[in-house]
Amino acid sequence: MRLSPDNWKLAILVGLVVSVLAAIALPPHVSFWIVGAMAALVAAAFVVNAYRRKYYGGLLVAPAIAVLFVMNIFPLLWSLGLSFFAYQSNQQSIRFIGLANYTKVLTNDIMAPANWGALVNTAMFVVLTVTAQMIVGFLLAMLFAKQFPLRKYLLILVLTPMMLSVVASGVFFSYYYDPTFGILSYVINAITGGQFILMDSKAGAVTGIVFADAWMWSPFVMLLVLAGLVSVPKYLYEAAAIDRVSKWRQFWTITFPYIRGLMMLALLFRTIEAFKLADLVILLTKGGNDTMTISYHLIRIANEQNKTSEGAAISYLMLFMVIVLTNLYLYIANRRSQGD
Amino acid sequence: MAENNSIWEALGFRKASGVGEAGWGRTLVVAIVSLIYFLPVLFIIFTAFKPQDAALAVPPTLSPTSLFGLIPQQFVFTPTLENFGSVFMRSMTPGGAPEATGFDRYFFNSIVIASSSVLLALVIGTLAAFGFSRYPLKGNDTYLFIILTTRMLPAIVVIIPVILMFRVVGLSGSYTGIILLYTAFNLAFTIWMMKSFFDELSLDVEDAARIDGSSDIKVFFKIALPQVIAGLAATFVFGLILTWNEFLFALLLSGPDTRTVPVAMNQAVSSGGRGTDWTLLAAIETLFLIPVFLVTFFLQNHLLRGVTFGTVKR
Amino acid sequence: MSTIEIRKVTKQFGAFTAVKDADLKVEAGEVVCLLGPSGCGKTTTLRMIAGLERATSGDVIIAGQRMNELPPQKRDIAMVFQFYALYPALTVGQNIAMPLHYEGLSKADQDARVSKVAKIMHLSEVLDRMPNQISEGEKQRLAVARAIVRDPNCFLFDEPLSRLDVELRHSMRGQIKEVLTGLSKATVIVTHDQLEALTMASRIAIMKDGVIEQVGTPHEVFAKPTNVFVASFIGTPQMNLVEADLRSFGDGKADVVLAGQPLNIAADPAVSRLKPSKVTVGIRPRAFTTVQDKAGDTIAAQAELIEPMGAETLIHARTASGGDIRVVVPRDKRVKVGEALHLRPDPRQTHFFGEDGRAVRA
Repeated sequence: MRLSPDNWKLAILVGLVVSVLAAIALPPHVSFWIVGAMAALVAAAFVVNAYRRKYYGGLLVAPAIAVLFVMNIFPLLWSLGLSFFAYQSNQQSIRFIGLANYTKVLTNDIMAPANWGALVNTAMFVVLTVTAQMIVGFLLAMLFAKQFPLRKYLLILVLTPMMLSVVASGVFFSYYYDPTFGILSYVINAITGGQFILMDSKAGAVTGIVFADAWMWSPFVMLLVLAGLVSVPKYLYEAAAIDRVSKWRQFWTITFPYIRGLMMLALLFRTIEAFKLADLVILLTKGGNDTMTISYHLIRIANEQNKTSEGAAISYLMLFMVIVLTNLYLYIANRRSQGD
Repeated sequence: MAENNSIWEALGFRKASGVGEAGWGRTLVVAIVSLIYFLPVLFIIFTAFKPQDAALAVPPTLSPTSLFGLIPQQFVFTPTLENFGSVFMRSMTPGGAPEATGFDRYFFNSIVIASSSVLLALVIGTLAAFGFSRYPLKGNDTYLFIILTTRMLPAIVVIIPVILMFRVVGLSGSYTGIILLYTAFNLAFTIWMMKSFFDELSLDVEDAARIDGSSDIKVFFKIALPQVIAGLAATFVFGLILTWNEFLFALLLSGPDTRTVPVAMNQAVSSGGRGTDWTLLAAIETLFLIPVFLVTFFLQNHLLRGVTFGTVKR
Repeated sequence: MSTIEIRKVTKQFGAFTAVKDADLKVEAGEVVCLLGPSGCGKTTTLRMIAGLERATSGDVIIAGQRMNELPPQKRDIAMVFQFYALYPALTVGQNIAMPLHYEGLSKADQDARVSKVAKIMHLSEVLDRMPNQISEGEKQRLAVARAIVRDPNCFLFDEPLSRLDVELRHSMRGQIKEVLTGLSKATVIVTHDQLEALTMASRIAIMKDGVIEQVGTPHEVFAKPTNVFVASFIGTPQMNLVEADLRSFGDGKADVVLAGQPLNIAADPAVSRLKPSKVTVGIRPRAFTTVQDKAGDTIAAQAELIEPMGAETLIHARTASGGDIRVVVPRDKRVKVGEALHLRPDPRQTHFFGEDGRAVRA
């Protein structure tokens, strides 16, 4: 490696090492400026390099890399450092404690059960909401796959739930589920004659949350699947009609290969989103009836209880899980595409 | 399939009957399903027009009209525009005089923050995408994957350090801070999408322009950019939907002056200790829905392309 | 019986008429080419036969049965698409087998049929590959293989060779013709390439603006074009179509003023029915002989551009009135630019077209 002002690879290497060391060894308000200086160094190396070599690629990419570094990558490194300290955002004291935060959130008598509980709930929500969204989204996409009159206007109706603010849809779903004023209770009361409170049990509360979430985000899956469906060349269906291929076989041999990749993509995006599920839970149950999710739990610990470094430790365990999941996904997706 | 079909499509003639096309029968079925799917939204919009007492009526009131007697009178309410007024002016204490709620400010904030961050991401991201597409770096794909990964991270993982960082740097509650954060939030898919659009362009035109003596800058602005207008539109609308409604970042990072509508909405409905003010919330949401609905409707054709994040190419 | 017949078939897309009153009958074992320029309605006609488009009016009769309202599935036809329409997610073998599933054959029977057809179409080596892993020529053969694996009522080909390069096109023409000859089915081939039509078809239907202008054997459409369009469309280089004034007719000869020059030329007796009027005289470039001296039946022109075409030479000559005449002469006939030529048209290859553009012929 050549030492020169335009060697951006060296700059990244040095920047990363110094940043990580600073984040681990120094208190945040000091390490912040060190990491910032490192980012500036990398950016400068990039620009000098690009300028010297008339290298437009570097120049064009640099602003994006800079923003992502400051707003995404650097905070992540910083919170990684933070997870090795005892630190509370409302106090000045800070103390290096190594892996103690991790052992604490995983094994502590008071903290661990809540963490594990929230994690198990999250896993449950991921499975339920993603499954529901995939099925509903797929069925909706099949409905809209063909060209028919007024299609454009009907499609926008189905897309609207996705455009709603989660606050509004959350509050209104709690209104629909309300035992006194809610339409759901009214209908069920009218049938059974008894009082009906959906959010009264865990099963009911989970159903309520999953229903609202699936309603909001199935259109997203629908759009993805639809994008795949409309990309199937029409002449394949014409050929299949000439070849007298049954509808069932047409779907599996012609249609499905076109949407398989997109369904996997939808699955990935929705799984990641489902991991973050917090707002609907806050609005519908406030975590009651054992519906606490890991994201909501994290917000409470880090923001409301100011246990910043424990929160960071949980964040990192969560990030680790998402990365593992993503890689698992990519591994399967790659194996699939190689199988073709 | 041959040449003559595209001529008819260009002339705007629809194929009368063919494989992959359906008639009014399909319209009817889809209309029923779509309306059912849309009902919760419709209920919110109707609630925005309900008088207070109608909103709390049991059984719930469902329609502003009896549809010529089709709907029993007990489900019908008399529409009012009152709620839209109280979004901006209402008494904050029981019996108090009406005062400004500041919602004009929050709408302004939402528009400024969402549009400027989406546009900023579009500018930075389009430049980067053009760079990645036309001047590949060593390990180009690795960079692109790392960039996509930033989109995959749960927001909550990023947010604590960002809060702390903003406190240290003094960006808490400022437009700059939240706009920058949303810009980063939108960058990943902006880059991925715009790159796929640039990748699909024919290089011949650009090469021809270079041979004719155009500079690289001119090639970008005069040749490449005009060809990806559709891509810019799709990216814009998708980023807008996500940023417009973003709640968690806004809740934790915006200050009193930079509060966006979703956050203010949350406060408006839960403050005052009188329980949820559903008609008010419905009025806010209805107003809040209009801009993004219109943008989506007019750019709908591009959205299909945008939603794949440009990752699907054949 | 494998036949195709369309009677007064019309297709409208909104206000646009794509095909108008098309009549065509294809007997078993006959190969009919629908030939015409882009957008003439030939593909639409084919798609109406296939059932991919519904005729606005008229009858589509396949194997003696009116099938207007039947979807493609019920018509028992095989079709080769312009872009082949290979199923991208299936192997070559599975592609060939797709039409067989309907028949509910046993796995062994199915495999036997597939391998038999694969052998005919020289695809045995690539049965396990995906369509995107085979060459353009193999794709084309696969598309044909998928059509002939069944025993359908008839075959339809939509621009089957348009994506191949010149050499492959040449060899595939022969191959397809050979395969079709062995099957004795009614076959319709859509093409815009007259060479393809002339070599493969037993009869050619020439279309323009949705109307079938002429149906005939390759020889008929070349030797006896029914109107100016067919005359100009068939044959390379294009037939010379020269405006002329018909003065009189007598003794089997017509007196015309052509390109400002009086010309006395033997003509079809039917020309006698014409009153003195404007006519179009059509003469093929190869129907001229060049002579030394001006005579009553020669046209004077000056050689302007000379294009050697190998065995022959194409001369663009200009008449005194400024008209352009294409002449093909043997290679050994040396002509210089600027040289004055006297061209004597062969009366048997000279066509008279009336003011309505139709050929005047007994």
